[in-house]
Amino acid sequence: MMEKDKLRKADIFSGSIMFLFGIWIISQAIKMPMKDSWGGVQNVWFVSPALFPLFVGTMIMLLGALLVRTAFKEVGLKELRAVIRWLISSEIALFLKTPSNIRVYAITVLFFSLVYLNISRIDFFLCSVLFLVAFISMFYFDDDTLLKKMLYFYLAGTVFFILYFALKLPAILKPIVAFPNDWLMLVFIISYCIYTWTLIRSVPALRKKYRTSLILAVTTPFLIGPIFKYLLLVPMPTEGLIVVAMDTIRYWEF
Amino acid sequence: MMFFDRIWSFFEIVFHLASDPVNLAILFGSVILGIIFGAMPGLTSTLGVALLTALTYGMDTALAMVCLLSIYVGGTYGGSYAAILINIPGTAAAAATALDGYPLACKGEGGRAIGLTTTASAIGTAFSIIFIVSISPLISYFALQFTSFEFFLLAFFGILISGTLTSPDLVIKGWLSGFLGLFLACVGRDMLQFYPRFTFGISELESGVEVVPVLIGAFGIPQIIQVLKDRFQIGETQKLQRILPEIGTIIRNIPAIIRSALIGVGIGAVPGIGEDIAGWVSYGTAKNTSKHPETFGKGELQGVLASETANNACVGGAQIPLLNLGIPGSPPAAMLLGALMLHGVTPGPMITFEHPTFIMEVAAILLLASMAMWVSGMLLAKQVVKVLQIPTQIFMPIIGVLCIIGSYSLGLNIFNLYLMLPVGIVAYFLTEMGYPIAPLVIGVILGPMADENLRRALMVSQGSFMPVFTRPVSLILFIIIIWTIVSQFQFYRKFKTKMADLILRRKTCEAIFDEEIGNKK
Repeated sequence: MMEKDKLRKADIFSGSIMFLFGIWIISQAIKMPMKDSWGGVQNVWFVSPALFPLFVGTMIMLLGALLVRTAFKEVGLKELRAVIRWLISSEIALFLKTPSNIRVYAITVLFFSLVYLNISRIDFFLCSVLFLVAFISMFYFDDDTLLKKMLYFYLAGTVFFILYFALKLPAILKPIVAFPNDWLMLVFIISYCIYTWTLIRSVPALRKKYRTSLILAVTTPFLIGPIFKYLLLVPMPTEGLIVVAMDTIRYWEF
Repeated sequence: MMFFDRIWSFFEIVFHLASDPVNLAILFGSVILGIIFGAMPGLTSTLGVALLTALTYGMDTALAMVCLLSIYVGGTYGGSYAAILINIPGTAAAAATALDGYPLACKGEGGRAIGLTTTASAIGTAFSIIFIVSISPLISYFALQFTSFEFFLLAFFGILISGTLTSPDLVIKGWLSGFLGLFLACVGRDMLQFYPRFTFGISELESGVEVVPVLIGAFGIPQIIQVLKDRFQIGETQKLQRILPEIGTIIRNIPAIIRSALIGVGIGAVPGIGEDIAGWVSYGTAKNTSKHPETFGKGELQGVLASETANNACVGGAQIPLLNLGIPGSPPAAMLLGALMLHGVTPGPMITFEHPTFIMEVAAILLLASMAMWVSGMLLAKQVVKVLQIPTQIFMPIIGVLCIIGSYSLGLNIFNLYLMLPVGIVAYFLTEMGYPIAPLVIGVILGPMADENLRRALMVSQGSFMPVFTRPVSLILFIIIIWTIVSQFQFYRKFKTKMADLILRRKTCEAIFDEEIGNKK
């Protein structure tokens, strides 16, 4: 959590967002049937589906306004002006580049790329290995310069995959090679590992950490995955190269 | 007679559960897992329950409850390890334990402190069972008399009180967080007319927001970001000596333990506030009532006993509103509610009719879990402490994968992940800005109850709010809600101070007047 004086300044903005959000909820709720017929049922205000959202929206709007008022009373107009000036100055760029913020971006990028890009298209084991190898190595090395370099490399790979899926290349590659997405992911994992190795090979302490990261990144999905797949009978989000290989071994008739 | 029947059936269930080796294996496994989760700073018992919910999906309800309640009990207790040995509470519930636990460890009495917390935690949990067994039928009986107005007001009160008591900053933020949760509960087709609300044409949203992915996202993702963003490092662990149960010390402190357990049960029973508040309140009470308050914070055994007994007693206390009213008493209890719904059990006043032995089963599992916790704590503490040496940068990414596979496996729906992540990111920013997350989660859970009951109540009364004032329980709840809101505003505090001044002045005047009359006489 932020310090108290920063918190009050932030409250003005978060309160305003809440206030606007409350108005938006009310505006959406008003569109819901209040007195007209819905599905053959003539509405009255007290059974309308809009009643509860209207109540929630009004409360959010009022509380948001109250928060702004409370924060504004403590901060004052002069301080607020200073904050706005800071927000439009070049200092904001410096703030956004602080190491702690970069760490937040790295985590967000890792999660977003896994959830919205990889998990529904690439074999679960492979995307988990990439997620873990990148996540553990970025943070376990405890070096912000290294983190930045690894993040940029990961971002480049992610952009490549976005383009690859956006241009519908998997459909073109599928007749030529089975599981094209998975093979590409495998190539990306290997290149990421090689790139990371080139960054840390001269530091013995980091070499040890690198080994640990690799071992954990590979073993964890292979411990968790089979529990869900074969013990709890949960099919993986995407079953590709590795899952098919595991199935072959699992259901092999000796 | 009925009371003795209940006690008899309670012990029958205990023996029945304990006689199954599978139950025992799951019990000990989950308790140990819970202790590890609790001991690791950054991981909480709520997250433990959330992640294990996915694994219990295929189990029968009783076994799933053994698993989830055991991890809850173990997780609440496990937080004391890190609090005592590295001065960083493993969970928020153990924050008060660190105040006296760490100085004890520095004096070379870490083993003694852990022995005491183990026994105190087990007593705390066991004590709370008495209340689950004895009070539950009464609450269920009263709850059966409730109409929709009472249920709406109860749900609303749960969100308000949770927002009031869990807010680390302004109370308004706690309330806002609760209303954001209520908004999330509005998403989907409404249950009375099936009108799609805030679905934006997305078919996956028509059935509403899935509770478990929201809970995993709201508790898991902010935790991962915060720990890694702040470069959280685990400090040097104090040496752990032999762990003894310290029965003598426990017997000498029985009154203090009972008081702490009562505080824990009481706070646990209040909707939405958890073990952390129970720990602090109990610690504060122990300090205020002590003959030597100056020793608190310097390694006072009573301080450790007070917070640990209360936070574990809170586990049982939180089950009382959860099982009888369907209102979770704490964040992990909210997770339990989600798990119960997955298993087809709907907690509330009807639970005693639909599943007559369920409350007894929960109480029996808690008793067994507290015993398993005591045994594991006494025998495995030295081994469990080793997990404190694992760097957070290693286990947080693994927790990330568990959050993802856990959210997905409940319903085998990738959309759950699409929902979990934005909720997690928003929850992170809210946490950073001093908004508590517990009311948001309670809001998501109690939202449908509040919505349906408000409209049903108004349907019955034909749009009149008069039953709120004519029904005694409604009126009491309404007054409490108004008081909860009004008491947070400055004008109320000013008014209270003025009134107190006025009364004081009047009393002083009266005293002077009496004195003067006395002198004249």
